[in-house]
Amino acid sequence: MLLEVRHLTKRFGGLTAVSDLSFGLDAGEIIGVFGPNGSGKTTLLNLISGVYTPTAGELVWKDEALVGRKPHEIAAAGIVKTFQNPQLFGELSVFENVAIAGHLRLKRQAGWRRVATLFPVRANADDDLASRIDHVLRLCRLDAFRDVPAASLSYGGEKMLGVALALMCEPVLLLLDEPGSGLGHDELRNLDEVLRDLRAHGTTLCVIDHRVGFLGKLADRAIVIHHGAKIAEGRPDDVLRDRAVIEAYLGRGDA
Amino acid sequence: MKFLLAIPLFFVPLAVHDNVVLTILIFTYLVGILAVSFNLIFGFTGQLSLFHAAAFGLSAYATYLSMVHLGVSFWVGALIGVLFVTLISIAIGAICFRFKLRELYFAIVTLAFSELIRLVILNWNSFTNGSLGINFTLTPTLWVPGRGVIPVAGTIMWYYLSLAAVVAAVFAYSRIVHSWMGRCFASIRLNDALADTLGINVFRYKLVSFVAGNIGAAVAGSLYSFYISYIDPNYFSLDQSLAIIAMALLGGREFVAAPIVGALVLTALPHVINVNAEARLLIYGLILILTILLMPRGIVGLLVRRRHAA
Repeated sequence: MLLEVRHLTKRFGGLTAVSDLSFGLDAGEIIGVFGPNGSGKTTLLNLISGVYTPTAGELVWKDEALVGRKPHEIAAAGIVKTFQNPQLFGELSVFENVAIAGHLRLKRQAGWRRVATLFPVRANADDDLASRIDHVLRLCRLDAFRDVPAASLSYGGEKMLGVALALMCEPVLLLLDEPGSGLGHDELRNLDEVLRDLRAHGTTLCVIDHRVGFLGKLADRAIVIHHGAKIAEGRPDDVLRDRAVIEAYLGRGDA
Repeated sequence: MKFLLAIPLFFVPLAVHDNVVLTILIFTYLVGILAVSFNLIFGFTGQLSLFHAAAFGLSAYATYLSMVHLGVSFWVGALIGVLFVTLISIAIGAICFRFKLRELYFAIVTLAFSELIRLVILNWNSFTNGSLGINFTLTPTLWVPGRGVIPVAGTIMWYYLSLAAVVAAVFAYSRIVHSWMGRCFASIRLNDALADTLGINVFRYKLVSFVAGNIGAAVAGSLYSFYISYIDPNYFSLDQSLAIIAMALLGGREFVAAPIVGALVLTALPHVINVNAEARLLIYGLILILTILLMPRGIVGLLVRRRHAA
């Protein structure tokens, strides 16, 4: 098991956003976390990525505890998250945005030797950085926007750049917070292809979305949460026919 | 190579024999180091530090007092000054960044630390001579080919020493800014929450930027105080910090060397228009306001097309 979530709970004052949630993630699968708006999906991702500290419960990543580690340490350990509202370095070009995200790659490759590259005697640290960035941009269908300021991208482009930033970190587990929201039909198909590509390359994906259609076709396994608690788990088709799930989405009696 | 632009400056003393002009240039270079190093923290990492004048003054005191009390040469004294400022900067930076102080909170806390140090120096009469300041009786020495070890004296020698120092500073800071570390600084300036999720240790690189910037201030402080042969607690005043900010903004904060242009304007100005010290502050303030309103990218920003900072 790659990541184990054990009895995870997060309370904000009197509000319980995530309640005694347990599930596991295997290497190489795409897991979809469904739930209506406000069901605690984003909070779950923020707990895994270290943005929030859980009130109770454990997170075990490759047999090591994650709780208490800082976001940048969790990213370095291989868990990278994208944001629901795209977060970018707006005044820099698309290329430069992805170059910044190449930090972890450089750190893994060069370690502390990267400090020596600051001195004139040493060659530049990242000779193959540019080719790696171009590869990621091609993968995310952003190569045409390479030298455009990130702030001038369309909403869909910004979301893809968010995915590109995460990819550049070479994650083992990629957490995607509603990657499809606000995307047009073509952009959505694009995203679907990118994510399938990623799985083919061995990246584990945890995708959350309140829209059933897009994620239902993509995910290998689905988890449905409602009011922060898990109400169903299994194959997406079965789960989405589950009575409790339909009630959570549509309200009691409508099904 | 932009560094070729500095070559004509090495020939200025051959063509210009007016001591006033050379003196203005010496001050420009020395204060320029201060402004360039400040801009690493402010312009490239986005942290408004008001500790810069304190790092400058602290190093000046540490250099001179270690020469007097430990009997070391100027260069060893300057090294002690730099190390001392490095340690103090690590401590202050660690406190500010651990508590994630943002924007004005960071500015105010660094200002408070500067004031604290100023008050210690002002009141520790037996060691620092308090508000009277110290008139230097020692001078730096330098090994010059063909002439052996000689004291650094006279306008020409100071001109070359300060020019060499500012070129070295610009070179060192551009290495940093145009490297992977510069990208980390840019990520902190533009979106530190995103930087954090991309695996960048925001605390560490804020601290590195703060310390690296203050080291420049320390070098400038040691040289500047020996050039004018005098130090007093006014080195630490808020006026000094504001003048440094004005230089960085006026020159242009997107470019490593641009604050030197700001330093030149603000150093030359009092000689061009003869006014008293109070009126000078008024003019500084006016320039600062007009710069922010009319040319937010500074003088160099007016001349050079926008280039991305990472």
